[in-house]
Amino acid sequence: MIKINSKNVDVFYGKKQALFNINLDIEENQVTALIGPSGCGKSTFLRCLNRMNDVIDICRVKGQIIINDFDINDKSCDVVRLREKIGMVFQKPNPFPKTIYENISYGPTIHGMAQSKNEMDEIVENSLKKAALWEEVKDRLHEPGTGLSGGQQQRLCIARAISVKPEVILMDEPCSALDPIATAQIEELIDELKKDHTIIIVTHSMAQAARVSQNTGFFHLGELIEHGSTDKIFKNPENKRTQDYITGRFG
Amino acid sequence: MNLVIFIFIVLLGFTSYYFGRKKAYSIQATNTRLTALPQFYGYYLAIWCAIPAFIIYSLWAIFEPSIVKLIILSDYSNQGYLDDELNLIYEKTKSLSRGQFSGEITTYLETSAEKYLNLRSIAQNSKVVLILAIIIASIVYGYKRISSNNRTREPVEKFLNTVLFTASLAAILTTIGIVFSLIFQTIDFFKVIPLFDFIFGTHWYPAKAFVRDASEPLDPSMYSDTFGAVPIFAGTFFIALIAMCVAIPIGLMSGIYLAEYASTKVRQYAKPLIEILAGIPTVVYGFFAALTVGPFLKDIGTAMGLEVSAESALAAGGVMGIMIIPFISSLSDDVITSVPQSLRDGSYAMGATKSETIKKVIFPAALPGIVGSILLGVSRAVGETMIVVMASGLAANLTFNPLESTSTITAQIVVILIGDQAFGDPKTQAAFALGMTLFLVTLSLNIFALRVVKKYREKYE
Repeated sequence: MIKINSKNVDVFYGKKQALFNINLDIEENQVTALIGPSGCGKSTFLRCLNRMNDVIDICRVKGQIIINDFDINDKSCDVVRLREKIGMVFQKPNPFPKTIYENISYGPTIHGMAQSKNEMDEIVENSLKKAALWEEVKDRLHEPGTGLSGGQQQRLCIARAISVKPEVILMDEPCSALDPIATAQIEELIDELKKDHTIIIVTHSMAQAARVSQNTGFFHLGELIEHGSTDKIFKNPENKRTQDYITGRFG
Repeated sequence: MNLVIFIFIVLLGFTSYYFGRKKAYSIQATNTRLTALPQFYGYYLAIWCAIPAFIIYSLWAIFEPSIVKLIILSDYSNQGYLDDELNLIYEKTKSLSRGQFSGEITTYLETSAEKYLNLRSIAQNSKVVLILAIIIASIVYGYKRISSNNRTREPVEKFLNTVLFTASLAAILTTIGIVFSLIFQTIDFFKVIPLFDFIFGTHWYPAKAFVRDASEPLDPSMYSDTFGAVPIFAGTFFIALIAMCVAIPIGLMSGIYLAEYASTKVRQYAKPLIEILAGIPTVVYGFFAALTVGPFLKDIGTAMGLEVSAESALAAGGVMGIMIIPFISSLSDDVITSVPQSLRDGSYAMGATKSETIKKVIFPAALPGIVGSILLGVSRAVGETMIVVMASGLAANLTFNPLESTSTITAQIVVILIGDQAFGDPKTQAAFALGMTLFLVTLSLNIFALRVVKKYREKYE
């Protein structure tokens, strides 16, 4: 089933066009990997999906991105509701300079999801459990989140993202600042999370894309060159540029 | 003459830099590897040339006058003069030698003046010769030491280290010096006025001390009820409070606007414009408060049936607040801008609005810096003098009515020290006691605030 349907998406930074006519469908409850060399526009596309490009003054987005039969670029779209439905995890772990508990309760508080302290405790515990962090931090929930290790911080950010029960989670190179062990933990977690969430992950590591994703899209110079099932893209790509990139001839 | 010597030393320093480097180049030309870059050899020689000369020069400048004085006054020893009289004779001799003496000229004085001139010229000449000799000797020594295996980088770096250390030492020593100059006068003051009366007295009327006849001995009892500092401390903090009530909300909100909401273009123009406020001399604020705001408030008050003094705490405090706005707005803008963008992104991605992000993420993260900027504002408000002197009157009323006039510590120090004053008089020493107390109060405020900040700071890495 199609979760996100993007049609003719163009993105401009000032006068420079960063994305050209992107048409990409994202399958529900699967992991979609976006790969491509640096500066190819994959992160820009990811940020279109929760309208994070709004934060950048000079950025303009054209075209339609339809989620649940609704165009998120439409004027009537409520960005607060949209971002509640579509969570995001960033390249560098960015926990708030608050306690672990407050980091998780931040989103539910904003969206008024808990009526009582008990409910909030439950949300925090469930989110941390789903992010496979509960066992490590349950005794120090009220210590600062910035005191955790890099891998733990990133899982904290994932827990923060899932605390508001989003339908989609966007991940922008979530493992690029982590060591191999932390990376393996996150990849395992992604596999677990796809039961409840649709996941889109931008990655530089083709091995990672092959390991975690069911679908892959290859971006180059702002264009979506090829997309399809990960198996097909890695074993039998149609486009020569995709093949060159996969086999490491450029990028 | 002194200037000529000074310029001469500087010029020689530059020349020796050139020659030192040249020698290093010539060593390099013989394919020998130097232990440092050629310019280090230049600096090395320049330091050798200038530093010994300057040290001798300054020592000479310090000791010459007292040695000359000793020699001149040795003629008058054993004649039963008092120290003060000897000093007077020496001063007379000096002015006679300059041809500016208008009193009665005795033969004694004339011989002394001649001797003085003689000594000065001998001193001057021997100084020049000595310095020249030292420069030449040290240049020759330094130049000889320049060879391929001689280390020059370390001494040059060490010299720079010493210069920088001396500079910071000068600042610290000045602070200590100021504190000590306050302490001794303050102690003298409290010998006459009991500490208790000063801290808890509610009547400040230093003018009473003016009427003392200086020829009569000091009678502490006449100062009771004269130096009670409560009204002026109350006035100081009251006016500072009014100022901060104006400055904190406006400054903070404009800082937040500039950092988070304003477009690049607005920020580019608005920030320098706000900072212009910081460049206005306080005396201009003073007459703005006294001649524009004060009468304006009085008119409004009269129209509303209130009794408003033309010189009111409200006028002074309000204008002072306007003066402090740029400090708070500019500094808090800087600290808010330096909160990493990744924290904002994280918050927006959770669906937080701009104001929620600012309130819950950015403000706590920037809090230490914001408190710092407010503290700077408070210390400006407590230390501000001119606006209060001009706009809030000089009478130390104990009042918390913003429409009446009141006075502050700094304004009272001005009142006390303006015009003629006798040193060693309680009235003058009162200024030092006030200064000392002000210093202690602001110091403890700062320490307290630093602790608060440390406790509540949210660290981001």
